[in-house]
Amino acid sequence: MSESQEEELKEKILNIARKNPKGITDNDITTAIPDLTSAELVTTINKLLQQGCFDIYKQGGSLVYRLKAQSSKQAVKGADNEEKVVFNLIEEAGNKGIWIRDIRNGSNLANTQLTKVLKNLESKKLIKAVKCVNASKKKVYMLYNLEPDRSVSGGAWYQDQDFESEFVDILNRQCLRFLQQRADKIKNNPRGPIIGRTQSYATAAEVQKYITDLGISNVKLEVEDVITILNTLVYDGKAESSVYPDGSKVYRAIETLIPPPGLVQVPCGVCPLIHKCCSSGLVTPQDCVYMAEWLD
Amino acid sequence: MSHQLGRVVSEILLRYFGEIVEKVGKDLFMYGSKPIGMILKTTGLPRAQIVDSLRTLLKFDLASFEPSANEVIADYKLIPENVLLLIRYPRYLLQMKSKFGSEAELLVEELLQQATCTATELVVTLAIKYKDDKEKNINIVKLKDVFISLATAGYIQQAPVAEIKEGSEIPTLVPVATIVPDLDARQLMQVMNSGNLAEANDNVYWKVNYDRFHQDFRDDLMIKAVTRRIDDNAGELMRFLLQQMYLTSAAWAPESNPAPALELRESCRRAAAERPLLHQHADQYLKVLEENGTGFVRRSGDAAGGQFVVRVRHAAEQLVLSVIEHTVQERLGSKAARIFRLIRSKKYIGEEDIQKHAMLPNKECKELTYKLLEQHFISVQPMRKAASAGGMAKAIYLYHINLHEVAHTTAQMCYRSLHNVVRRGAHERQQHSRLLHKQRRVRTIVHGMRLRNEPQQNIDDVEETLTPPERAALASVEQRLKQLSAAELELDRTLFILDWYFTYPH
Repeated sequence: MSESQEEELKEKILNIARKNPKGITDNDITTAIPDLTSAELVTTINKLLQQGCFDIYKQGGSLVYRLKAQSSKQAVKGADNEEKVVFNLIEEAGNKGIWIRDIRNGSNLANTQLTKVLKNLESKKLIKAVKCVNASKKKVYMLYNLEPDRSVSGGAWYQDQDFESEFVDILNRQCLRFLQQRADKIKNNPRGPIIGRTQSYATAAEVQKYITDLGISNVKLEVEDVITILNTLVYDGKAESSVYPDGSKVYRAIETLIPPPGLVQVPCGVCPLIHKCCSSGLVTPQDCVYMAEWLD
Repeated sequence: MSHQLGRVVSEILLRYFGEIVEKVGKDLFMYGSKPIGMILKTTGLPRAQIVDSLRTLLKFDLASFEPSANEVIADYKLIPENVLLLIRYPRYLLQMKSKFGSEAELLVEELLQQATCTATELVVTLAIKYKDDKEKNINIVKLKDVFISLATAGYIQQAPVAEIKEGSEIPTLVPVATIVPDLDARQLMQVMNSGNLAEANDNVYWKVNYDRFHQDFRDDLMIKAVTRRIDDNAGELMRFLLQQMYLTSAAWAPESNPAPALELRESCRRAAAERPLLHQHADQYLKVLEENGTGFVRRSGDAAGGQFVVRVRHAAEQLVLSVIEHTVQERLGSKAARIFRLIRSKKYIGEEDIQKHAMLPNKECKELTYKLLEQHFISVQPMRKAASAGGMAKAIYLYHINLHEVAHTTAQMCYRSLHNVVRRGAHERQQHSRLLHKQRRVRTIVHGMRLRNEPQQNIDDVEETLTPPERAALASVEQRLKQLSAAELELDRTLFILDWYFTYPH
């Protein structure tokens, strides 16, 4: 089979595929092109698969070929073979991204060539490099138009792959303020403590609405994000959580069980040198400067 | 029995009983129980002094004795817990004053000072002491009544009686069931007028029952905690529950016997005048009390409209946890406290998960975790993968909290702090001893002159021997000492919670 024949065959098969966007089977091809041998069919289909024209599926015991979306095909138009291979690898990785070493292994390209290809693709704005949050030096590549996955970007709490502790702190404080506004409802509520308790509880959705209305965040916060923040409040000992009968989690601001105990009211309780303090020597209670400051 | 406890105990003994008793006490603390001969050898004190010190220690219940192996001589042992109680005396008095009035306070104060004493002696001494005090207006009948009500409420009890068993020369102290005495006011008057205590023929001795006070302190802690968490109506309900507990259960039982809701509602009804809300919503308050995060109260059954159990042991655990959390927060910051609580709520947790849940930057989170570990607030459990070859095997480190151990760490810190505070107080007193001494002398002289009605001019002259700078210095020392003794009391409160927790086996 000569080159021209092969190209002709490919065009034919592609035409059939274009007519049936839902996909075609081997049977469809043989009925459309009756003089095709099965050996020729297999080689041509394999070539087309290699070029990435088709996606292959199994449907009810027979194979179905479906034409790939045109956009991604067009994007690599005018690119050489290496670029196509690399692009396909990156495309497959989806929004999780792919590491440069995995591209190298998958494409069998030399390091220098690969960097050149990647640079080319980047300059064409086909792909982008994203820094991964859990490993700061690791860069992953993904298609330009994709939003990075939470595991890569870290979700709402990361800006340029840095954890935004100030942002979290502010949200933490605002959530607490919201809970505290209603916390007092339980105290001597004339309608009884159960109603009071219900009034002092806030669901995560309510908190989320409050935070969104405040407009302190330019990122859209999901209810799950707010729950993470509310959980930090629980771990701070400033709120307790409970579950409503319908399964939604509710939160309520609380006070500690006891006021600060005596141990932390004396300087020794917070003294960094407490384990070095002896009856004699350099650190003694008699000449302790912390204690002198506290007594004056 | 730790080194820190020994330090604080000897410091307290030094303050209240002086050097010799301190030496004997320290010796007993270090070596456990030992007979007089051995104390003589290690301390090098004269025998008479040792006997005297032991007598003092035994009198105030700070030491105990038991026959040694040969049944002829006694072994002595220090009771460090009781030595620490010396710090708590002001709290006992305050409790008395707020609950039974100033007569009770005077009675308990006198009894604490005497250690043991007969009822007649106690009442008569006080009556004589305050005979001329018009302000307090103490009379013997009132004192007698208060004494009887204290005995009934169990704040004072009969002292144990020494009994000599057959074949032994060492007496043993046998506790006696307290019988509320029937004191005759007329006879007491007679004794007071004659001044001869032997006349009364009263040989029942009394002492303060610390345990009863401690129950009060415990109740107070639980009620306050509930009040902080919910509101004062709920606190009042907690009080009713605890009152029920006194009727049906052992004082320090880990869980009380179930109290029927019916009786609680009855208590609420009786308090309806002061607390209309509690009466109106008694059932709801019970539910809220049962369902809040503290878990002080548990519903044990539905018979008779619900049965409720007070979980005393659980309450102790919660309060100790609160103490520890406060300590972590003050020592290492609120972020560390967040990690601490997180580990506590997840039981066992790896480093990665801590970072994820605590919402802290990786570096800070690791640093705080290691600091918590370093200061023994959390523990780590390495989990090695079995049968994996070489250095490739990566162990997983799970962090967890052993509350009992952490409570011990905290108790050690309390002992250390208490020692430091007492020591500092002694140091301040010693440094300004000349001034304090002078002030005392001036005061006595002025007092004497006032009694003799000497002219104001002379009194002023004497008072002016204290120069203004000296007065300023004295004021500042007094201020410091006051702050230190307030700190002692607060530390004692913390230790009380920890002791309460340690009473239950773990």
